[in-house]
Amino acid sequence: MDRALTLNGVEVRFDVEPRTLLVDLIREEFGRTGTKVGCETGECGACTVLLGGKAVKSCMVLAAQADGASVTTIEGLGEPGELTAVQDAFWEEHAVQDGFTTPGLVMSVTDLLSRNPDPTEAEIRSWLDGNLERVTGYHNVVAAVESAARKLKQGDSWKIEPEVVAGDMVGASVRPREAPEMLRGETDYIADVTLPGMVHAAILRSPHGHATINGIDTSAAAAMPGVIGVFTAADLGFVMPLPVIWVPTDVESHWPPHPSGMVPGGQSLLATDRVRFVGDQVAVVVAETVQQANDALQAIRVDYEVLPAVVDAEEALKRSAPQLHETVPNNLCMSAPLGDKAAADAAIAAAEVVVEETIRNQRIMANTVEARGAIGSYDATTGDYTLWTNVQPVNPIRLLIALYVLGVPYNKLRVIAPAIGSSLGAKGYLFADGPLMLWLAKAVGRPVKWLDTRSSYPRSTPHGRDHVAHATLAGSRDGKISALSVRGFNNLGAYPVINAPGSPRTLIGQSVTGAYDIANPYYEANLVFTNTSPTGPVRGSGRAEAIYLIERMIDRYAGEIGMDPAEVRRINMVKPDQFPYDNHLGWMYDSGDYPGALDKALEMVGYDDLDARRADSRARGKRLGVGIGSYVAAAGVGPSAIMGSKGLVSGTWGSAYIGIEPSGEVSVTTGAQPHGQSQVTTFSQIVAQELGVPLEAITIKHSDTNGALYYSQASYGSRSLSVEGVAVYNACQLIKEKARQHAAHLFHCPVDAVEYGPAKVFARFAPDQAVMTLQQIAFTLWLGWDLAEGMTPGLEAKGFFDPPEFNYPYGTHVAIVEVDEQTGHVELVRYVAVNDFGTVVNPKVVDAQSHGNIALGVGQALYEAVRYDETGALLTDSYSTYPIVRASELPSFELLRTVTPTPNNPLGAKGAGDVSNPPVAPAVVNAVCDALSDLGITSLDMPLQPHTIWRAMSSASAGGAAGSGGSASAGSGGSASAGSGGSASAGSGGSTSAGSGGSASAGAAAAAEPAGAAS
Amino acid sequence: MKEFGYERPAHPTDALAMIAGVAGARFLGGGTNLVDLMKLGVETPAVLIDVTALPYDFVTDDADGGLRVGSGTRNSDLAAHLAVRRRYPALAQAVLAGASGQLRNMATVGGNLLQRTRCPYFQDVTKPCNKRVPDSGCPARDGEHHNLAILGGSDLCIATNPSDMAVALAAFDAVVFVEEPAGPRAVPIADFYRLPADEPQRETTLEPGALITAVALPALPWAANSRYRKARERASYSFAIGSVAVALDVADGMVRDVRIALGAVAPIPWRAYRAEQSLRGQPATEVAFREAADAELEWAQPLRDNRYKVPLVRNLMVRTLIELVQAS
Repeated sequence: MDRALTLNGVEVRFDVEPRTLLVDLIREEFGRTGTKVGCETGECGACTVLLGGKAVKSCMVLAAQADGASVTTIEGLGEPGELTAVQDAFWEEHAVQDGFTTPGLVMSVTDLLSRNPDPTEAEIRSWLDGNLERVTGYHNVVAAVESAARKLKQGDSWKIEPEVVAGDMVGASVRPREAPEMLRGETDYIADVTLPGMVHAAILRSPHGHATINGIDTSAAAAMPGVIGVFTAADLGFVMPLPVIWVPTDVESHWPPHPSGMVPGGQSLLATDRVRFVGDQVAVVVAETVQQANDALQAIRVDYEVLPAVVDAEEALKRSAPQLHETVPNNLCMSAPLGDKAAADAAIAAAEVVVEETIRNQRIMANTVEARGAIGSYDATTGDYTLWTNVQPVNPIRLLIALYVLGVPYNKLRVIAPAIGSSLGAKGYLFADGPLMLWLAKAVGRPVKWLDTRSSYPRSTPHGRDHVAHATLAGSRDGKISALSVRGFNNLGAYPVINAPGSPRTLIGQSVTGAYDIANPYYEANLVFTNTSPTGPVRGSGRAEAIYLIERMIDRYAGEIGMDPAEVRRINMVKPDQFPYDNHLGWMYDSGDYPGALDKALEMVGYDDLDARRADSRARGKRLGVGIGSYVAAAGVGPSAIMGSKGLVSGTWGSAYIGIEPSGEVSVTTGAQPHGQSQVTTFSQIVAQELGVPLEAITIKHSDTNGALYYSQASYGSRSLSVEGVAVYNACQLIKEKARQHAAHLFHCPVDAVEYGPAKVFARFAPDQAVMTLQQIAFTLWLGWDLAEGMTPGLEAKGFFDPPEFNYPYGTHVAIVEVDEQTGHVELVRYVAVNDFGTVVNPKVVDAQSHGNIALGVGQALYEAVRYDETGALLTDSYSTYPIVRASELPSFELLRTVTPTPNNPLGAKGAGDVSNPPVAPAVVNAVCDALSDLGITSLDMPLQPHTIWRAMSSASAGGAAGSGGSASAGSGGSASAGSGGSASAGSGGSTSAGSGGSASAGAAAAAEPAGAAS
Repeated sequence: MKEFGYERPAHPTDALAMIAGVAGARFLGGGTNLVDLMKLGVETPAVLIDVTALPYDFVTDDADGGLRVGSGTRNSDLAAHLAVRRRYPALAQAVLAGASGQLRNMATVGGNLLQRTRCPYFQDVTKPCNKRVPDSGCPARDGEHHNLAILGGSDLCIATNPSDMAVALAAFDAVVFVEEPAGPRAVPIADFYRLPADEPQRETTLEPGALITAVALPALPWAANSRYRKARERASYSFAIGSVAVALDVADGMVRDVRIALGAVAPIPWRAYRAEQSLRGQPATEVAFREAADAELEWAQPLRDNRYKVPLVRNLMVRTLIELVQAS
């Protein structure tokens, strides 16, 4: 039936099925892709448009409902090429990072300010609850709304000239250069990429946690309308499973096999005879449309024989547990020790005080609002493959797919990442879907696209954390810690993910001493396979588990000896005169003032003066709690040789190419791969600072393996600025050097007499006569008419940087919470963060990263948990069952930065991307435990949902506090497992007595745990 | 989503004729719940009859001093309406406590009244559910029920009504006006919803094909002293785990009259008549409030994982009453 609506002021006609959603009409029929899809269930708000002038979620509206109405999308705001006051405010306040959720936010805020021109912060946050955001922590978004409200009252006078940065570019909070196109909805993400002749794939995934496949009947599906092909493992031939490339080589380990014989094997592109987790890929349909592919998926018949499953790491080590891989006895991948166990045991035996605790870091997901996708294409004429996919490491996955999965020549594969709607680490892997699309593209002779959905996301994309640690901390009565011994269990899920198995011992194990000088640390990393989704790094990876552990143990110890937890930290922290400091587990801390950061944070919250505040809360039926999280987090991966010694089969150096075009503009290609970190901006600032050229003259290229670089190592683990950024800095030095040499030749003088000034070179003896602009130097080098002996033409350079050591950002965060005595609800009322990232290139960019880290940590502490039942069924596959933090659940954050440059690179910059996440969850949990401490509650497992807290409070007040040494401990309830009643029970379960390295015995020491913990 | 037809009549008589004429036809308001359930396969209507073009988008004063709200009024307009905010503040608060701004911009009053339970088994078509498929069974009693009913449930169903708005309407004795095949009818909200008993698939007393046209809020001057409080798993955007709408008329320290309705504890918005009765004529003290709450909640039949709701709701009632005393 013919219908019409007014889209961005223009009447358009449409004739679609009634089941077509408004968002699909806008995106597919009318090609306005600025409106994004994040969840399809009305929760994320990425698809917000104005319908009749009011913000609505276009995924919850039928296209037919908009018949006759006026619809405004992000493309319809303001004048073409300009920004509205709301958009400009978002830009000014750095409220844009990856940009995926930005159009929805802008539309939503536009509606808010049209009906409430002067909203309070509470009103703004309440309104923003309709828009999910995973990276800004809403902090700068709230600031942008306030700024926009001011601008709107000024009429047009807010439209000022573009900002001009005077003086140093490094250290200036210039507006993100990436943001304007994101704010206009012009940035293309994987969902927005369309190739000529493209067809669509849908992947059939196992609904069972563990089952054998007796047969697959695809005949009915193959006969359905629009279906081009249906494929199973039998069709794939010599395609190999995913490889694993980070494997400690000094301990015994057991793996699924890989046909190459060179590396361990991971997940297969399509399962052969067995599925091992809910989500394992079983079959794939290629059809003309997404709808046809999905319809055909329903017609595939798989004959499963369901097997017993195991979802908990320690359960999986028991002899009676279901076995996942024939080559992995007792499901134990490896048991890797680190440190001097005998010394730790001796120190514990001799200690005055010993605290034991089981620390659970629950399973979480990145659950980015943008899901994943991949498009494969194949040119039969040339044999060239191209993969478009929204992953962090285009070059590494190119190598791995070519070498270990498809077995095709490396130089016949190109990988391109479009804009990425944030990753939080979980777009940093090699996934089974990417190479599958390449194989399909060749098989069907057309480009093939696969786009994930929200409900499929937890089945397709590895999860994070799921770490249980039995920790023993020993010390004296006067507060000095002498030993820390930890048995850690990492739930790897069903298959090892490319880099995940190397992480537990290095990133958790080496980091467990935190900011403290602990003489006798020991860590044992046990990596276990279970019938759950594979796990891997998520923002803060490894260091988050370690810092959560040590910061919780510090508070437990402080409680045990009756000392202020801040004082215990002060006593044990590494002191400024101890650098470089060897933490006895492999890290060499570089620089800092750890107690200084602690004291600054305490001063900011008025730590010594909180009694009145506590009394005020009690008068309102609330309990106030204060929690500290101090941290040191290794960043700047990495020194290639050190990473190699830890088993990583890859270089980790940084690289950059800079070409000064004959016309004078600067083209930079970086080995970093931005996905929301504003590196186009910060790297431009480095170039502008070093070469003295304006930002507008600089172009930064990235995310395409067909670029100017030999190989790009990508962005992950807070390495971009302090490794790849330093490579850019080094390339600038080479450019300057070559410019000077060429100038010296033309000036007929020694090189020593030539200086580089802002965008020019000149002879010191005649600065006004013997001078050439950077463009003139580049032009004459391009002409090549008059070059010195041995001089290469063109003003270009490749810079590299392989750091001598990691760098170590640090800081202290303090959370203040109020726990409602009657509902158990936790409100975060203040959050203070003191961080030191060394030299900072763009303060607002760096602070924005911290905002995201804080929000993610608060979300983990209070809301997030991936849950499975005992059969391996997945219970959390939406934003309602897996809640992420919303605007009204957060306060504005109070940030302070100190600057202690690292000696490990010439910029003095330390990592900043994910390092300030680790202290957040412990600060919040410590605060809640502090609020409940007089009930005898010393430990609670995340997430701290109201019913978890409420039960703990009820049990504690009913049963009285547990005896000395015991702790009232409540499991995080709500899982489907029986008995999640959460009684007050002694929670100390750690054991340090098990033998080292004994694989089969690892499970024997598993302690009885409170029921109901998240699996 | 399964395929379906779509109509948008401009006149009520057309709408009623359409729904009578097509098997499997359903009225569509804003669609924020129905379209979601269609995506999940829980609802599979043959035809959607969009009623938002009918002349039911209004808020007007009734002659008796009450307020009349058209069924097509969007939730955001209802919550923002000055008369609602001044005269029935608990209603405005209840509406604002639900969903998000974008959804309230779409959702209608009529649709809100008829929204379906968020019981996880009802929403999952792979699981049994007596409400969705009569006699298929109810796994909730032994399964995931931490947010299900402690009052008014039956052996067949313990799903809770998810509406915040309806809790406030229950407290104010709202009257729902409907057009049914037999003609127009005014249904007091107390008679609008029905308990599951042995027919959990029937949630209201409406005849098939009934069209809600308006909701009347009777005059109640002391409703200006009313409040809606909602406890949930999170600060925002989630369904209640317990809620109360309370209006209090207090003079000289004595309770002259009181209205209390509870949400998220029963298959219907639960009017706490016993608590009200025990409070009328009593001193407005915390002790009396606690006794009143207990008078209502002693009838609760909590299950393994939802016992927390009893003290939770008791606390909500008492605290809200105390606040209203302080506000008067």
